[in-house]
This record gives sequence, structure tokens and C-alpha cells, in this order.
Amino acid sequence: MSGKKVLVVDDEIHIIHVVAIKLRNNGYEVITADNGAEAYELALKEKPDIVVTDFQMPVMTGLELIEKLRQTEQTKDIPVIMLTARSFAISKEQQDSLQITGCLSKPFSPKELLGNIEDIIYQKELMVNK
Amino acid sequence: MRFARTLYIVVTGIVLCSLVVGVLTEWQGSDTGEGWLFAGYVLRWDLVATVCYVVAAVGVILLGWQAVGLAGKITSIANRINKKISDLQLPIPDSGLKNSNQQSAVGNINDLDETLNQWLSSCSDYVRGFESQVKDLQLQIQLSQRREKHTEAIIYSIRDAVIVIDEFDKVLMANEAAGRLFDFDYKDSQHKPISELLNSNHQKFVELLSHSLQAKGRAVRQEIGFIKDGKPGTFDCIISRVYDRAERVCGIVAVLHDITREKEISQMKNDFVSHVSHELKTPLASIMAYSEMLCDGEADDEQTRKEFYSIIQSQAKRLNRLIEDILNVARIESGLIKVNKQPLSLTILIEEQLQMMKSYAGEKNIEIISPKPIVFDQVYADKDMISQVIVNLLSNAVKYTRSGGTVTIKTEVDEIANLARVTVTDTGVGIPESEIGHLFEKFYRVEANKEMAKGTGLGLNLVKQIIEKVHNGRVFVESKVGAGSTFGFELPLATEVVEAVQK
Repeated sequence: MSGKKVLVVDDEIHIIHVVAIKLRNNGYEVITADNGAEAYELALKEKPDIVVTDFQMPVMTGLELIEKLRQTEQTKDIPVIMLTARSFAISKEQQDSLQITGCLSKPFSPKELLGNIEDIIYQKELMVNK
Repeated sequence: MRFARTLYIVVTGIVLCSLVVGVLTEWQGSDTGEGWLFAGYVLRWDLVATVCYVVAAVGVILLGWQAVGLAGKITSIANRINKKISDLQLPIPDSGLKNSNQQSAVGNINDLDETLNQWLSSCSDYVRGFESQVKDLQLQIQLSQRREKHTEAIIYSIRDAVIVIDEFDKVLMANEAAGRLFDFDYKDSQHKPISELLNSNHQKFVELLSHSLQAKGRAVRQEIGFIKDGKPGTFDCIISRVYDRAERVCGIVAVLHDITREKEISQMKNDFVSHVSHELKTPLASIMAYSEMLCDGEADDEQTRKEFYSIIQSQAKRLNRLIEDILNVARIESGLIKVNKQPLSLTILIEEQLQMMKSYAGEKNIEIISPKPIVFDQVYADKDMISQVIVNLLSNAVKYTRSGGTVTIKTEVDEIANLARVTVTDTGVGIPESEIGHLFEKFYRVEANKEMAKGTGLGLNLVKQIIEKVHNGRVFVESKVGAGSTFGFELPLATEVVEAVQK
């Protein structure tokens, strides 16, 4: 999966740091943001292959970011993985309506996150090749 | 009998008439000649008078005869009564009477008297029995009335709204709480249709009442929302059906319990748990992620490993502080915390905390100024808690002040209000007006200033709890964006508190 670009969004600097190290160690290009608004601008500019975002952030939350991504032509198909520390933060209906590809609860395993990212990108490539 | 009476009257009349005519004829005859001319014959006055006297005499004889006969009958009846009495053969009591006939008569009378007495006695018993039953009934009526009064008093005094309606939707009873809730005069509500008393805001409740009358089962329970005192409220509504002896619904009793506050508290608890969960999981996520990276050998070099260890350590400390703050807040709110109040000098306490803060402030090149008052007035407070308050306020001031700024901490006494006041003023980034009202809420952090420093969002809430809830003081804040903030608290002076305690 080398060369694939991942946008990591979280207001916790240590989370961004550890996820970035894990992904870079596995060949991914990583871009980061610490709030939803900044992440949206980056998504428009950099067109990442996948977005990993926290749920609760200042300025613009993770849900608001995803809504905006889905409403924008250039970003509507980018897969999104949501990280959340709140129990039952997102309902199944919300996940389906916003096309949230994956959901991980904090504290999470960086290994598990990497596995999810790889699965999603693999599925995406399969769809593209079809 | 009637014929005999009539006959006596007629005969008596004839006798009287004859006598009158005879007397008149004699009297007239002496003046008017020999006699009365009738059908060609002359009736001589002395002859007419004689005839009248004869008729009268015959009449008298007849009346006398009848009188004798009547007397005989009366005598016969008396004899028969006497015979009957003698036939009773009543025992003669030992009254000491010498005459046996008299004794016999007295005995008979006594037996009759006793029989009558027995009869009267049994009548008296019946009457007494009836009187007793009437008294019982009266007593039961009184008890029933008293019970009704007690029930009414209970219903009217309870704080929940209670409305009782019959099967025709007419109000039988409503208490004051119901009147207040639905805005009608509860004293004037009896026998009025419930729909007339409630307005369009209560349509759901009216429908619920109608539904309850038709539904099966004994009771219906539902949460229902109304506007109460201009604010939305939630009520736990229990509607019980009342059945008559034929098991037909003859009315319903609706009780509405205000659960608005419980709902708010439940929501606050849910929010608190959600916040706490998030705040605790965040540092924990870092600790677990970095630990996993170390275990998986993702830290290639020693420097990276040291960095990971340091982060794990700092996040663990953060987690610990957070847990302590959460527990302190929870303990204070629940009243479980042990409070050890004593006379304290705020000035001396501040001096002690400044020693620890100055090194932290020095790292950021921030000067802490603390002018010393002349008089060291005392407050009656828990030393550890007030120390915590001072540390939190000083810590915040240093955190949100840029390098080169100043933090000033002052104490002063308001002798008129009997208060000691502490203020901490910084030259930091300031707080937007719109956020000042939320500063002392749990987990609240000013959005614009989050980047400047980390925090649990509980420090100011803890300050408020300690000062206001535990020490009956007051916290306050003033701030201007770009200029800085002043946080402070007031506590009653020790003399005021000690006097109050002694009273």
C-alpha cells in the first residue's frame, strides 16, 4: 500500500503523532490536522485516499467534517474511519447515512487501525478495477 | 241503632208538640168560642186539648218504657264484663288484703299489669335496639364523613397534581397543585367538563384521559410534557380507573408527578458520564497506543523510545490528575468529602502556595506579584481545599498568560460585609464575553484558548464547589479578550462564622 495518502485528524497531538508514526512505518504518506475545518481544506487540496478523524474536535467536529466531505463532489467518495472516545456516539443509521466506512473506539490499537485502513483501501482498489 | 235513635227523637217531638198544642188550645179556647170548624164539624177546644194531653202521655209512657229497656241493657253489659273479669282467675298476690274477692280482683289486675309490662318491656327493648342501631349508623356516618375529610385533606395537601373525573369527563375533585399546573380555579372546578378547564396546550393530556376511560386494565402510566411556569416540564402521569360494583368504569383518578428536575439530573448524569468517559479515554488511548508501538518495536532508535516513554508517563499523570479532580468534584457534590474547617489566614496560605508556583511561572518568564496586607484576617475554612483553590487559580493564570506577562494575587477585607476577598489577576489572553457564563461548568474549556494549555476542564468547577458549596462563599470572574482576566473568591470572616456556629 505504499504511496497511499492518509489524512489524520485529531485535536490530541499525541494521537496524531502515534498514528502518523505507525502509518509512515508501513509506507503510507500522512498529512495531519487538529480540527475539522483545517482537515476539510486539506482534503480538498491533497485528495487523500482515506481520512481518519476523531469525533469530538474544536471548530468543526468529525461528524460535521464528514457531512461536508459527502456534500462536496471532489471528496464525496473518500472513505472515512471515525475514532471516538464516547460510548454510542454514532448510531448505525448515522454511520450508514454518512457512509462512515469504519468506526474505532478509543483507546484503540494502532495495529488494528492499520488493518482497517489496509482493508478499506484494498476494497476500494477492487471496486476501481472492476 | 240509628232507627231507635230516630224513633226516640220523633216520639219526643210528638210529646212536646202535643203539650204545646194542648196548652195553646186551652188558652185559645177560653177566648174564641167553642171550637175549631173542620170539614163541617166543630172541634171543641177542650176536646182538642184533651186529645193532645193523651198523645203526650202515651209518648211519655213509650219513652219511659224505652228508657227502662236501655237501663236493662246497660246492666246486662256490666254484668257480662264483671263475669269476664272474674273468669280470668288472676292469682291473688299476698298483699295482706283480708277480703278474698278483693284479693282476686287485685291479682287479676296485677297479672294484666305484668303482661302489659312485659309487652312494654319488649317494646322498650325493640326501641332501645333501634336507638342503638340509629346511633351506630350515625357514628358510621360521622366516621365516614371524617374519613372523607381526611382523604380530601390528603389530596389537597399533596404536591402532585390530582384530578378525579367521572365517566362523563366531569371533574369530581381537583387539588391546588392541579389548579396551578393547568391554570384553573380548583375550588370552582367541581362538575365542570375537564375539557373546559384545560387549554390547547394540554390537549395531549385530555386525549390521554379519554383514552384511559376506554382502555382495558386498571391503570395507565405515561410521561407527558407541559409548559410549566413558562418552561417546558416533564410529568409522570398515572391514571387509575375506578370501577363500581358492577365492574363498570365510573371515573378515573389522574396523578401527575413533576419529574422535570429528575430528567434534568438524569441528563446531566448522562452528559457527565459521557464527558468523563471521553476525558479518561483520551490519555488512556495515548498510553495504550505508545505502549503497543514500543512492544511491536516500532520505535527504532533510543531517542524515539525515550520520547514514547515520556509521553506515556505524562499521559499517565494527566489521567491521574483527571481521576483525582473527578473524584473530588463527585465527593463534594455528594457531600461525602471530609471537611476539616479551622481558622486560617488567607495571606499565609497564599504565601505557602506561591513558593510552589513561582518555579512554574519562572519557566514561562511570568512574574507573580503578591502585595502583603497589613492585617492578616482569618477565615474559617478547610486548609487543603482552599490551598487547592489558590493553586487552581494561580495555575490557570500562569497557563493562559504569555511569556513576559504578570499575575497578581491580592487579599483584602470588606469589613462592612464581613468578608475576606482574594483576587488573581493576569495579563493573559482573556475570555470572550459569551463564554464567561460557562467557565465554572464541568469540563468546560474556552475554545479559543485550548491550544495554549491543556486542562481537565474541572479545575474551575472544583473551585466553585469548594468555595460555594462547602464554605458558603462566592466565586466571580471578569475578563477582557487580549487584556487578561481576574478570578476571585469571597469567604465569610472567621468571627462571623464562629458566632453563627455558637448560636
